Amino acid sequence: MLNTALSSFGAQVVLATSSDENHPPESMIDGNTETFWLSTGMFPQEFIIRFPDNMKISVISVHSFNVKRLRIEKSTQTDAEKFEVIAEKEFEQTEGNLQTNEISLDGSNATHLKFLILSGYDHFVSVHKVGIQA
Amino acid sequence: MVKLRARCILVGDAAVGKSALSQMFSSDGSHIQKNYSMTAGVELLVKSVNIPETSDSVELYIFDSAGRETFVETCEKMWGQPSVVCVVFEISSLDSFKSCSRWLERVRAHCNGLQLPGVLVGNKSDLASRREVETSVAQEWAQEQGLQYHETSAKEMENCDAPFLSLAQAFYALYQDRRQMIQRLG
Repeated sequence: MLNTALSSFGAQVVLATSSDENHPPESMIDGNTETFWLSTGMFPQEFIIRFPDNMKISVISVHSFNVKRLRIEKSTQTDAEKFEVIAEKEFEQTEGNLQTNEISLDGSNATHLKFLILSGYDHFVSVHKVGIQA
Repeated sequence: MVKLRARCILVGDAAVGKSALSQMFSSDGSHIQKNYSMTAGVELLVKSVNIPETSDSVELYIFDSAGRETFVETCEKMWGQPSVVCVVFEISSLDSFKSCSRWLERVRAHCNGLQLPGVLVGNKSDLASRREVETSVAQEWAQEQGLQYHETSAKEMENCDAPFLSLAQAFYALYQDRRQMIQRLG
């Protein structure tokens, strides 16, 4: 399921702190690493993904570029509220190819995932794909 | 259409006209400061700049920082990670020009090695009769440092938009460059 587009089973990006119409937030959940969401300046940056149901999540995969510090929070509410931190990680810098990272979780449930990009290796960072494994 | 956001750090010696310049710019000339009032901390001004011939814009978050040495340390804590820098001196004070390299280094120290587009501004161009810094000298130093040079007079409302427009354009160019680079990776 890590390779399946999150959007194909009803996931949505309900908030993103940057928007370039050429690089909409939906590019992160279309399963394609060629399309991407691009931050448009300053940190932190944030986006929230909502799932149609409560999802059991054991692994989150992120394809990105120049992301440095990333914090992931989850909510189990119907609305995007009451988030709790589930992971924080510093990604390694890459040159000429995307950063690919997998973050293992304890298989807990979530209705929303919040991604907070706290810092970057450049002024602008991109996220190409977010995948999850139940 | 895209709206970029840039953290613009405004520095330079005390009383060279940083606040007057940034207020003139952010109020479109409607806010004229007649009397000097010293900035003790950091004042934040926000203004959006349209990029000519596009529907894109850059929102500048201008951190107008105190020039007085006593306050500098406190100010630095609020700079965060700068996107662009604006270093100001007054053309009628050689000392204020000499301080520019120190100001620039201070801001660069917060950049974690990131490229920092910037401008050098020679303010108080209305005081031409008391000029202590020649345009060519300032221009040359700016070029060495990779900065664009502008002369302004906040008092006479002369050219005050130019430095900020130039910062917005430089940041926008950086964005387009990175965007194309990332596009090739995907």
